[in-house]
Amino acid sequence: MLWIKNGIVVDPKNKINLEKMDIFVKNGKIVPESEIKKGDCRVIDASGKLVVAGGVDMHAHIAGGKINTGRTMRPEEMRVVRNIAGKFRASVGRVLLTAPAIGYEYAKMGYTTSFEAATPPVSSLHTHEELDSIPMIDKAALPVFGNWHLVFKCIEEKNIEKLKALLAWAIERSKGFGVKVVNPGGVEAWMYGGNVKNLDDQVPGFGVTPREIITWLIRANEGLGLPHSVHLHCNNLGVPGNYQTTIESIKLAKGFKNEKRQVLHVTHVQFNAYSGSSWRDFGSGAAEIAKVVNSMDNVTIDMGQPIFGHATAMTGDAPFQFTLHKLLGARWSNKDTEVETGAGIVPIGYLPNNPVHAVQWAIGLELGLLTESDKVALTTDYPNGGPFTEYPYIMAMLMSKKMREGELKKVHQYVQKATNLPSIDVEKTLYEVIHMTRSLPARILGLENKGHLGIGADADIAIYNLNPLETDFSNEFEKVYKAFKVAEFTIKGGEVIVRNGELLKEVYGRTFWVDARKKVDLEVVMQDVKNYFQYYSLQLSNYGVEERWLKKPERLEVV
Amino acid sequence: MIIIKPKIDFEVCVEAELTPELATKSIEEVKKFKVYYGNRIVELGELFEIRKEGDDKKLVLEGDFSRVKWIGTKMVDGEIVVKGSVGANCGAFMKGGRILVEGNADDWLGIEMAGGEIIVKGNAGNLIGCAYYGDAVGMTGGRIVIEGNAGNYIGEKMNGGEIIIKGNAGDFIGTEMRAGVIEIHGSCGFVGGDMRGGEIRIKGSFELLPTFRKTEKGWVGDVNVKGEGVIKQI
Repeated sequence: MLWIKNGIVVDPKNKINLEKMDIFVKNGKIVPESEIKKGDCRVIDASGKLVVAGGVDMHAHIAGGKINTGRTMRPEEMRVVRNIAGKFRASVGRVLLTAPAIGYEYAKMGYTTSFEAATPPVSSLHTHEELDSIPMIDKAALPVFGNWHLVFKCIEEKNIEKLKALLAWAIERSKGFGVKVVNPGGVEAWMYGGNVKNLDDQVPGFGVTPREIITWLIRANEGLGLPHSVHLHCNNLGVPGNYQTTIESIKLAKGFKNEKRQVLHVTHVQFNAYSGSSWRDFGSGAAEIAKVVNSMDNVTIDMGQPIFGHATAMTGDAPFQFTLHKLLGARWSNKDTEVETGAGIVPIGYLPNNPVHAVQWAIGLELGLLTESDKVALTTDYPNGGPFTEYPYIMAMLMSKKMREGELKKVHQYVQKATNLPSIDVEKTLYEVIHMTRSLPARILGLENKGHLGIGADADIAIYNLNPLETDFSNEFEKVYKAFKVAEFTIKGGEVIVRNGELLKEVYGRTFWVDARKKVDLEVVMQDVKNYFQYYSLQLSNYGVEERWLKKPERLEVV
Repeated sequence: MIIIKPKIDFEVCVEAELTPELATKSIEEVKKFKVYYGNRIVELGELFEIRKEGDDKKLVLEGDFSRVKWIGTKMVDGEIVVKGSVGANCGAFMKGGRILVEGNADDWLGIEMAGGEIIVKGNAGNLIGCAYYGDAVGMTGGRIVIEGNAGNYIGEKMNGGEIIIKGNAGDFIGTEMRAGVIEIHGSCGFVGGDMRGGEIRIKGSFELLPTFRKTEKGWVGDVNVKGEGVIKQI
């Protein structure tokens, strides 16, 4: 039992803003005062300190084939030793971290949940093995659907029941959490060396278009009533002028409705918010996208903010990765081409004096500032935009115009004419930034017990050595950055796991997965699945992950 | 000047980042210098006999150092004389000064070296003047002279400086080279794959890739990467 005393609480889900209050924890949950015996409690004195829910990272590449291939092809990333084996596991990595390092670094920063954003269903066993070796945090994985032949077939036949059954079956088999879509149709075209250019291009070999794929997947996702909405990585990622495709894709959500959450989440929008026609006249389309998102009540986005320094581009968007490799002349690995999706990996470094990188950096912030705080979550699309360990930098930047002005002086001055960042006066409040890093991602993902401190929530709590009542967030940005970088206490499931940035205890979090089989009749799709598996790399009976193979699975049943 | 001599035959490799800087310290401090013996951290004095003679910035390594790695790493000035053979990674990331090896040198000699001079009287191993695993740029300056033969992967990703091999060398000379000079007085195998710039001069025979075009300067390429590197017979 824990009694967190006199903390200054910010809990946007429960509309608590800077209130001095006590929080009580019992059996890993937050409970009312009446349920605990104060004498038996461990008391944590949080006077003058900020108490918030543990951070929720809704989109990061933390496990699976892609990050592992990235580690193999980037030995230079593995020279930074973060922890020598002893009480805790050895952990290394500069930006591309090993599994233990990912868990430890999240925990040190006060983050307690992170979602692997893309796993090919066929390699989900690998993904889960790796998720199981990430300590400290709760996690889940999103299987990828936007380029799977079986999905195309259901859409071609315009058979929604079949598509729903396929999704429910595949999500159960991969022990996945939701429906991720990466460059719908484009990755299939990549199998023939191509890509799709707009939403109405025909996918080679199938009578479907990206527009149909997205719309039908939203329909099926909403029909199943999954906790999370369709999670879309748009077409034309990384192409100048792509903001129009992004806006068109966002508008596809019109006509769908869900009481609890958005019906479409568009991810790492920074990479999809470019105006211009080439890298020479490249600029920001963030303002236009923000305007569209603000005008709709059923779409959310996340930032995909680049951080200057080292990063590794890794996405399921294989054709884009090839373009990037050609553009940079950097190493390239092509992957997963023969499975339900594709993938590519390219090392990258964001340099402040490079005009393109400076504009990308500005676009991420523009999106964060111009979009309503209730619709944009904070991410770096780790490790594509940079390390998640720099989230405090983004938080501080969003809250301080003065900090942004200082940083703007250090970057290539092309940002002055290509983006609106220099003229944006918005300063997000602490309440908004806590929402963007906690309660909003939890709501987007459909995790009811995460991201808030209400009764019944998981006792994932971060306490920062920052008195928000006495802090001037506009001017004391360095103090704010430092405070969020290292949590004074990180509490996971009611246990104190980090104190002042020092690891205290290794815990293993749960892996969430969604079971929607009760919502469908699996038989409608099984014949197609069996036919497909006649020509597949493995037998149907060997496909998928059993629940008992996972360390701490938690099934969320959709009824 | 400090004279260092192994006390025993080493069962496993020793990783000792010995630089001439040590010669400026007192003998007690030198004896306490931390090195790895396998996976254990030990003091230099446990493994080696150490003597001090005079104050000049010089290390003399007597005996067999072929299992001692990282000698002269990151050194900036002074001199190291190895009376016998030396282990891997000798002169890695070196910025200045001089290393003289009277015996043979192992792999990874002078990797990512930026300045200074390394002279090996005997033979040398593979990966001379290369980039370390995963890094983009190899040797950027300085000079490496091998009196004997050398192995494969010489000057990979080299971006400056000079490598001279008086004997023969193996395959993959100057792969992805961008600048600098490699000179081989004997013969060697494949040369200049994905070369973008710099010059490779060879006295003996060598194997040329089909991606080089013949000009007055010599063979220019690698055309695969629009390179302007030159391979010349001397």
